[in-house]
Formats: sequence, C-alpha cells, structure tokens
Amino acid sequence: MSERERLANRDAAPSRPLDRRRGVAGWVDPRGRRLGGWAFILNRVTGIGIVVYLYLHLAVLSLLARGPEAWDAFIAVALSPLFLFFDVVLLAGLLIHGLNGIRVTLTGFGLVLDAQKALFVALMVLAAIVLLVGAIRLVEVA
Amino acid sequence: MSGLDGGAPVSSRVPSVDPLERSAVARLRVYRSKPGVEAAPRFETYEVPASAGATVLDALLWIRRQRDPGLMVRHSCLHASCGTCGMRIAGREALACVTFLDDLGAGEITVEPLANLPLVGDLVVDMEPSYARLRAVGRPLVRESEICPEAQPAEGIAEPTRFEDCIECGLCLSACPIVATDPRYLGPAGLAAAWRSVEEPRGSAVGRVLALADDEQGVWRCHTAWECTEACPSNVDPAGSIMRLRRAIVLGRGAPSDGPRTEGPGPKRCNDERTRTTGQP
Amino acid sequence: MDGPGLAGRPTTPAAGPGGGAGASERASGAPDHVPNELQPPPRVELPTWEPSGAGGPTRAWVAQAVTGIGLLALVTIHMIANHFVVPEGLRDFAAVVDYLSNPLIVAIEVTFLVLVTWHGLLRVRAILFDFGFSPATERRISRGLFVLGVATVAYGLWLTSVIVSYR
Repeated sequence: MSERERLANRDAAPSRPLDRRRGVAGWVDPRGRRLGGWAFILNRVTGIGIVVYLYLHLAVLSLLARGPEAWDAFIAVALSPLFLFFDVVLLAGLLIHGLNGIRVTLTGFGLVLDAQKALFVALMVLAAIVLLVGAIRLVEVA
Repeated sequence: MSGLDGGAPVSSRVPSVDPLERSAVARLRVYRSKPGVEAAPRFETYEVPASAGATVLDALLWIRRQRDPGLMVRHSCLHASCGTCGMRIAGREALACVTFLDDLGAGEITVEPLANLPLVGDLVVDMEPSYARLRAVGRPLVRESEICPEAQPAEGIAEPTRFEDCIECGLCLSACPIVATDPRYLGPAGLAAAWRSVEEPRGSAVGRVLALADDEQGVWRCHTAWECTEACPSNVDPAGSIMRLRRAIVLGRGAPSDGPRTEGPGPKRCNDERTRTTGQP
Repeated sequence: MDGPGLAGRPTTPAAGPGGGAGASERASGAPDHVPNELQPPPRVELPTWEPSGAGGPTRAWVAQAVTGIGLLALVTIHMIANHFVVPEGLRDFAAVVDYLSNPLIVAIEVTFLVLVTWHGLLRVRAILFDFGFSPATERRISRGLFVLGVATVAYGLWLTSVIVSYR
C-alpha cells in the first residue's frame, strides 16, 4: 500500500485491526486485574468447564443404553475417591458459575450497578459455604 | 553511582534532588520499542531520583532529559485533564502524571504502553482506533448545561457549560478483556459516549446511536468485567453506561427513530445520585 | 442482515479541520450555543440502520439470562435428586430405570437438558463472537451451534426412551 493510500485510509481505522491486541492473554492475565475482571474470567472458565463436562456426562450416560452390566460396572468406579474429588470440583464450578451468573444477569439488565462488587463478594461467600456443605454430604453419602 | 541528579544543568526544569534525599531512588523498568527501526521490543531499567511527590511522568521526563532523549513519551496538561499520558504502570492502566512514585512501593516499577492499541514507539500508542469509535457514535463533547448551585459563573457568563467527562485517554480500551480479542467491538469509550448521546440527545439521532449499540459488536460483547470503570480516571463509568444502554434497549426504548429526539433523562445535575464518584485521580 | 457495526462503514476522504462546508450543515441540527463538535464531523456516512432483526442480539442475551435463572433451580434439583437423596450415593441400573419411569421426572430432566444445552451453547457462541469474526462467519457459527443443540437434545430424548424400554 502506498503512503498516499495509507494516509487516505486513516479514517478506515475501524476496519484496521488493533495491533498489539493482547488476545486471550487479555482474558487470563492476572496482572492489574481487579475484582470484576476476576469475576469475568471465573465465569468464563467455569462455564467452559461445565460445557465440556456436559458432553462428557452425556457420553458416559450412553452406557445406560448398553444395559445393566455396563452401567453398574461404571457406577462402581464412579464412587471411587478420584471421581468424588471431581464431583466436588464440578460442584464448585456450578456454584461459582451459577451464583456469579446472578450478578451478571442483574448488572446486565442495568440493575444493582453500584453494589456489583459487594454482590460478587457476597455470592462467592455463599458459594463457599454451600460448597463445603455439599462436599461433606457427597463424601458422606458415597 | 555518580550524580543521581545527572549533574543537571541549571536550565533543567527537573526539580533538583536535595542531597539528603539522594537515597530516595525509584527503579523504572521501561518498555522500549521502535517499530520499523529496532528489531525487537526490550525493557530498560533506569534509576531515577524520586523526590517527594514525584510522579511517574516526572520520572519518565527525567529519563528523557538525563539518560535517553530517544525515549518516546507523550503528555500535555500534567493534571489528568487531557488524557494524553495514559500507560500501564505496574500492570495497571493509569495516567502517568498523577501516579505518584511514593504510592508504587519500593520495588521495580514496570512501565508499558497501553495495550490493544497500535504502537507508535516506546510508550506512545496510536489513538486513532479509539477516536474512530467515538466519531462513530457522534462523539458528544459538551453537556448542554450542568446546573450546579455551588458553581457561581463568573461575571458576564450567563450559563455554565462543561465538557463530557470522557477525556479520551484510552485506559478503558487497554483494560477491557474483550477489546483484547475483538477488533470490531465498539468498546467501553464508544459505548459510554453512545449512552451519553442517548441520555442527553442534544439534537443527535438517537435511533442511529442505539442501533450501533444494539449490535453484536456493541453492548452485547460486554461481559461485565468492569475493568473499564476501574481504570477510568474521569468518572465516566463505561461499564455502568453499557448496562444502562442494555436496559434501555431491552425495555424497548431502543426503537430507532426517524430523527433527532430531545427528550431523554436529561442532563445530569451536580450532586445528582446518578453521578458516580469513582477513581478520582 | 449485516451487523451495522464498524466494519461496514464506507469511507470518503476526511475533511480537514478547515472544512467550511461542514459548518452550515452542523448548525442546522444543533442549537447555536452548544457546539457538539469542536470541528466539523468527518464526511463519513453511517449506513442506514434497520432494527437489527427485532433485537436479535437482545433476544440471545435475554434467553441466556432466563435459561440461567431456570437452571439455578433445575441444576439444584438435578444434583440433589441424583447425588444426595440416593442411599448408595449413585443409582444403579435398576434404580435409574425406576427413576425415569416417572413422567414428571422425565419432564424435569428433559427441561433441564434443553435449558442447559441452550444456555451453554449460547455462551459458546458469545465466546466465539468475542473474537470479532465477520457477520457472515457469525451467522455460520450460530447455525452450527443451533444444529449441535438440537442434536444434543435429540440424543437425550433417545437415550431416555432406550432406558425406559428396559422397564
């Protein structure tokens, strides 16, 4: 592109890519990140994790179509400590995502804007409490 | 180390360091890059005398005068009104002219240019992508009026007027995680300006602005990270503006109209509870 | 329709600060004592706006929010019903068949599947859109994810029918 064309196209700035965009590093880089940025990346990571889990879960459920032997064999493994650990991780992910999601929904409709930081903290405390109770119960029942 | 004050000539405008304070030194690790001239970006570390009340901008200008005149730094007003000296200091977006070295601790301070904007050189970025977005939404500049009982206009001035809060510094664009990946996103500054155009139409075509906002690359790309409002040195609250725009759109205020509208929530007044106070420099 | 966004703007050579022709056009729209620009706006035309499909992006967001709220309840029910009330910890095959023999349970679980698939794939769509693809690519992504969602729910329904057939 000649210099003349480049200068003439300066007003086409919107279609000019923003160089030095940080890319996905801009999502995950913890430097300089404040509370809302943590909420954003937490929700994104837990959300992706839950979608991945959803399809894994649906695939595992196909064992049910193969009849009692296949399923019951799986159940025996599913009650092992390793699986229980992943269950707790799943529960944590669901709680963080769901409760922070309440905040995202409210603020996304323009409500509770001034208290959004406090709301985030409160919801994560609630998530921690429910996680603790749920994890204990999970391990107990198994 | 000889002469931390660099043996400054008398004509230097940098305040000289009291010899008793010579132990007050700041270490700045500055991003250096001359695209098209140097092969690769690098960091250079400087030891700068840190007199009480010195800012990062003071330190950078000292470096420029006493160590390396090739350091590219941009500034203007020196008091957080012009938005020119935006950069990333210790990983956070800030205006260098009001970021005090005393507040940054004793360790090494990393100074980098704003992210997500093209680099001109060293700490200077091309702000055109930001300005283009502001132009696209009509770039409101002057509030119609802001009736503030405490502000007595000077003699001969009938009615006080004031500029919009946005000083177009670009800190919000650097902080936003979505601007980092999406070149078509209208961005926090643009959307905050769009909200101001909707809130106080001033004869602009509100329908057009709302249609720009109610777009996949408008308000719907925001995911409430709130980093823009945190970074803003000037009370614009882009995140809140985006959310208010969304409320307006979802509740159906968003139907594009044929022409300018003058009704709206009206101009903000001083001490209005809608006026947020965040991040005062 | 093409996202009006920024990419579609046609450009004309910008007027410099001295553009005289701009002044009269500007004055007709705005009150005299309130200049909305310190210099004439650049001679760039914004495209004509249509209402973007009666709020297409808005619909997606509202669906995301509403399904999310529904899921708060449904995922709680699902977790409790499948993990916390079962004496052995997890249901064996016979217990699963028993569980799904109840039409109300099936209705709840199917609703759960629909909502979680809808909510999750809407979000995958949003994450992909965060990379700023062209409007045409965005449409393709939307269509692809819609097909995936339908397939997921269909699979769930099929699986349920197979399990119930063991009764």
